[in-house]
Parts: sequence; C-alpha cells; structure tokens
Amino acid sequence: MNVTAANSFFNIPYWMGSGNIVSNLVGIVLYLVVVSITFSIFGYTVGWLERKIIARVQNRHGPTYVGMWGLLQNLADLVKLLAKEDVIPANADRMLFSASLPLLLALSIFIILLIPYSPTLQATNLGFGLLIIFTIMSFFPLLIFTAAFSSGNKFAEISAQRSVLVLLGYEIPILLVIAAIAAMSGGYNLSSIVGMQAGLHYLAFLMPIGFIIFYISMLAEFERPPFDLREADSELIAGWLTDVSAPSYALALFLDYARMFLGSVIMAILFFGGWNGPAFIPPFFMLVIKALLISFSIIIVRATTFRMRMDRALRLGWVFLIPLSLINIVITYLLFVK
Amino acid sequence: MSIVRINVGPVHPSTHGVIRLVVDVDGDTVVNIEPHIGMLHRGVEKLAETRMYMQIPPYTEKLDYMAPMSYDEAYVATVEAAMNITVSERAQYVRVILLELQRIASHLLSVGFFCNDLGQMFTGFMWAFKDRDIILDLLQEAAGSRMFYVNMRLGGLREDLPADFEDHVLQTMNYMEKRIPEYVNYLEKNPVFIERTKGVGVLTREDAKQLGVTGPVLRASGVNYDVRRNNPYYVYSKLQFTPKVLQEGDNFARYKVRMLEIQESIRLIRSAIKLLPEGDAKGLPIKLRSPNPVNRISIVNRELPRGECMMYLVADPQKPYRLSIRSPNFINLAAINHLAKGGRFADLFSTLGSLDLVMGCVDR
Repeated sequence: MNVTAANSFFNIPYWMGSGNIVSNLVGIVLYLVVVSITFSIFGYTVGWLERKIIARVQNRHGPTYVGMWGLLQNLADLVKLLAKEDVIPANADRMLFSASLPLLLALSIFIILLIPYSPTLQATNLGFGLLIIFTIMSFFPLLIFTAAFSSGNKFAEISAQRSVLVLLGYEIPILLVIAAIAAMSGGYNLSSIVGMQAGLHYLAFLMPIGFIIFYISMLAEFERPPFDLREADSELIAGWLTDVSAPSYALALFLDYARMFLGSVIMAILFFGGWNGPAFIPPFFMLVIKALLISFSIIIVRATTFRMRMDRALRLGWVFLIPLSLINIVITYLLFVK
Repeated sequence: MSIVRINVGPVHPSTHGVIRLVVDVDGDTVVNIEPHIGMLHRGVEKLAETRMYMQIPPYTEKLDYMAPMSYDEAYVATVEAAMNITVSERAQYVRVILLELQRIASHLLSVGFFCNDLGQMFTGFMWAFKDRDIILDLLQEAAGSRMFYVNMRLGGLREDLPADFEDHVLQTMNYMEKRIPEYVNYLEKNPVFIERTKGVGVLTREDAKQLGVTGPVLRASGVNYDVRRNNPYYVYSKLQFTPKVLQEGDNFARYKVRMLEIQESIRLIRSAIKLLPEGDAKGLPIKLRSPNPVNRISIVNRELPRGECMMYLVADPQKPYRLSIRSPNFINLAAINHLAKGGRFADLFSTLGSLDLVMGCVDR
C-alpha cells in the first residue's frame, strides 16, 4: 500500500502523514503528552469534584484537610493505597485475577487514543472509528466477568453474573443509536459526525430520544448509579472488587475515572457537537468543558437516585430501550436521511 | 444453577450492627436465610441481678442505642410499679414529650438507613441524620447529654425542664412539619424507590399475628395494635392518640407507617405542651438505698419506636431478683426468613432495613 492510499484510507492528519520524520516524531510525542496530561488532570478533577459535589448535596463538607479545599486528598488516598500490600486470595486464579484489571485499564486508554480531540489533535482519523470504539468497549463487561470469577469470592461471583446480564441488556440499544447516528452522518467517522453538528445542530436536540437512550445505556455500561449493580456496595460489599487489595484497588479507581472521561468525551462528541463552539475558545478546550459538564450531570445522578434491581434494570433495557432505539432509527430515517 | 451459600456479615456494609446471615441463593433468588445472633450480647439481664435498682438504667439504656430514652423510661416505670410510686402529673406530660421526641429521632434514622439499604448511598441518610441532630439538641437541653441520658428518676425526672424548653420544642416542631413533606416528595416521587419497595417483603395480617411482630412492622400489616392506645400509660388517653395503620404489609407500608408516626408524634408533642401543667417534675434523687419494693412481681409494657417492650421484674428488697426483657427487635428479626424468602437477593437488605433492627436490643 503506498503512502497516498494509506493516507486516504486512514485519513491521517497532516503532521503525521506528510513532512519529514522529525516533525512526525514531534507530533506524536506532543499528542501523547497533551492527551495523557488532559486525561490525568480530568480524572483527578472529576474525582475531587465528585467528592465535593456529593458532600454538598448531603450537607457535608467533603475533603477539607489535605491541600487547599482538600484538593490533594485523592493524591493522599492514592499514596496510601499504593503503599499497602497486594494480596491475591488463596483460591483465586492468580494469572487471570492479576491480568484482568490492568487489561481493562489498557483497553480504556486505547480507546482514549482513538478519539479525535480537535480538528488537528487526533492520532488517527479512522473511517470506522465509532464502530471500533464500541467493539472494544463491549469487552469491558467480559473482562469484569473474568476478574470477578477468577477471584473465587462468592459476592464477586454474583457480580460476575450481573455483569454479563448488563452486557446483554444495554449493548444493543447503544449499537442501535450509533446506527442512527451513522445513518445521519453517512459513516462512522467521528470527525465528520462533529462536522455535521456545526452551528448548534447538536444531535442531542435533533435526536432527543437517541440521546436519552444513549445516556442511560452509558450509565449502565460504566456502572454508574443507578446501575451500579456490579459494585452494589450495600448488597455485594464491593461486587467484583471485593477481593481486590489496595494497589489494585487504586488501579480500579483510576479505571473508574478513565471510563468517566471516556463516556463524557464520547457523549460530547456524538451529541453536543464536540469541539464546535464560539470562535474565541480553542476547540480542544471546548470539548473538555463539554465533557466536564456531562461528568457533572453523571455525578448529580449518582447523588440522588436509588439503585435499580437486576430484573428491573434488564426489563428497562429490553422492554423500553430496545424498542425505543428502533423507533429512533425510523424517525431519524424519515426526518433526516430520506 | 446450583444453590450457593453466602455468609453475609457480621462485617457487611448494610447489616445494621453485628448480625450474621447465612443466605442460600439460587441465582438471584433467596432460598433460605438463617440469622445468627449473639455477637453483641452483654448479659444485661444477668448484670441487673447484681446491681442496686437505680444503678441499672445505664445498662438498659444501651440496649437500644438509637432510642435510649425509651428503654430508660421503660425500666424506671417497672421499678416504680414494683415500689408503688406515683408519677406527678407534670412529670407524666414531660415524659410523654421526651419519649415522642425520641421516637421522631429514631424513626428519622430508620428512614435514612432504609435509603442506604436501597443503594442510595448516604444522601437520604445524611439529611435524616441532620434533622435527627436537631431533636438530639432538644434532648440534650432537657437531659444534659446527647445520646445516653439516664434522665428518669423514681417518680419523675432528674431535673425539671429548662426555662424556654417549650418554645424551642415548638420551633423545632414547626421546622419538622416543613421537613417531612420534603422527605415524602423526595422518596415517594422517585420511581425506583416505589418500584423497589411496593410489593416487596409482604407480611400478611395473619402471618404478622402468628410471628408476634410488634410496632410499625405490625401496624403496616393492618393490625390496629399500639400499646399507647390499647394499654395507655401516662397521659396518652388524654391526648387522643390514634395509631397509624396501613394494610399492605410491604416495605413501602413499613416506611410509610414510620413517616405517619413522625407526624402523629409532632401532633402529640404540640398538644402535650399545650396541656402541660405547672408544678415540679423532679423525682427522687439517686441514693444507693432506694425505697423497698412492695410488689414481688411487676410487669410493664411500653411502645418503643421499634415495637412493644415488656419488662418483667421479680423484686428483692434492694435489687432485682430477676429482670427479664421482651425485646421487640428480637421477635421482629425472627420474621426475616418469612419476609425475604423467595425474593431477590437485593431485596433481602432493604427488607432487613425496613424491620429497623438494633442488634444491641436483639442480643441484650
């Protein structure tokens, strides 16, 4: 495959496809630095915000002691967790148990690298990017199942069963909504989906049913309340993380915020016009601001809802979300595609 | 799927103290529950046999650490019955006010814990906790301490009420009256809350009678029984108390009965303050030697926030020969297998929360 063909197939941005090898390298390093710093700062901020906002809702103060406004509390917690011993339970499958969590984190970081952050800040611009992202994402429940089952804990075992059931209930509505989006934009390319939404033609307004389905399903996919059935602290202690000891638990917390970042950035791109916005804000910051607002809404949902029961959650998925997402496809076709 | 046996507790996020449940689960369905108790056993009944009469209230209080004043009063009333001591009229009214305040505090906490058990981590709980704190401030004003009061004396109380206590109580009741609809709005307009409580853990009227449950659990199953009405003590008959009864017998009804009882308690406190006579509410000061009991055997029953408590006292001259306590929680706990069997695993914990157990009272 020659360079032009490869470029047109992958639609590689100018600073990677053309030019000399030095500018290519600089581009790659710059990209990795910007994305990893953004991702870490975003995760840390959301972790702190979550504690503060939920504390406000509950008439508490939240962390105040370490650093200004308790800003360093999460760092202190992280240090404490990392300083502890990593115990693998005797009846766990050592290999699977210790591999699943890092693999989960690696997969979510891989997806983070596939997302375009601005017209210029993107690693690759795949024609089928959206499809790849959700293919990889559907491995998450399976890996959680492996982690839970290999720990040999009975609470984790119940959590593993729930994990697979969530996969069955909420994967299909997500894919159906994505199909409707792809029908509108004429492809699975994320950049062209963002381009389509220029000038407040946000999909959240054009396709409200699809947005609601997608939001609910993403909450279920990333086990945020009210769908935190896998972790269910008041029933299953910590669900699939019950036997995970401190350093790995720190990894799990990091994974939690990685998924939060992933979910809100994807939602911002698909439904809120990505980096589109007023001209005086750089596109990249526009995307981050939108993602932060979406994370805020997810936190507020956590502070106020009760946990769904497994059978009810499944019924919501099968009886309401799947038919609604089919209706959404039909409406989208009639209004925008035909 | 084969049956899995799971050990829940004694250390578990939502078991309300140290109870251990051995649960057999078939998939997501509970097949059998076996409660194991005794981890908070302190031998209060045996300890009572080695103490003088007025040395015992600090022990009985700590049976139910969520509503200590009620147990305080139940024990002292038993000793008063044994010694034939009459309580002055003002002291009767003051006791009713304090007991109803304690009931509001206890019910608020119960509703808060119930939210936690339904997986709504700590929002409803913290709100209820804050409001309970306002009630505890009032009790502190009257009794001098926040949790364990030892405020009851033979024939009255340790001290009469402080000067502006009545105004403070009325202000707090106005505040509470505004707060209760907020809880009701927040909980009963939440579809997930309704979905997870209505029709879950149903206890029918006949089963409730057979199992001998008491308190809000019994009244939620449609049995109109409340010691305050059926065997009125102090001034409850003058205050025209009516028990709150619901028919459904599910988790929602148990929660709702508690909410209604908070409102009824507010009404009782208001009318008790209106009728509060002048005089002295002070009882006998504590001395090691108390008057000698007249009656050999005395039995007193009281409606605690969690159900009917019965104290059975066989009296010797200066100390009890035997003190036996019917714990409402112990008997309510016995209903858990009946309630949660055949239900979902997630509902086991909300049903346990709706019984509102305090393990100190179960184990004694």
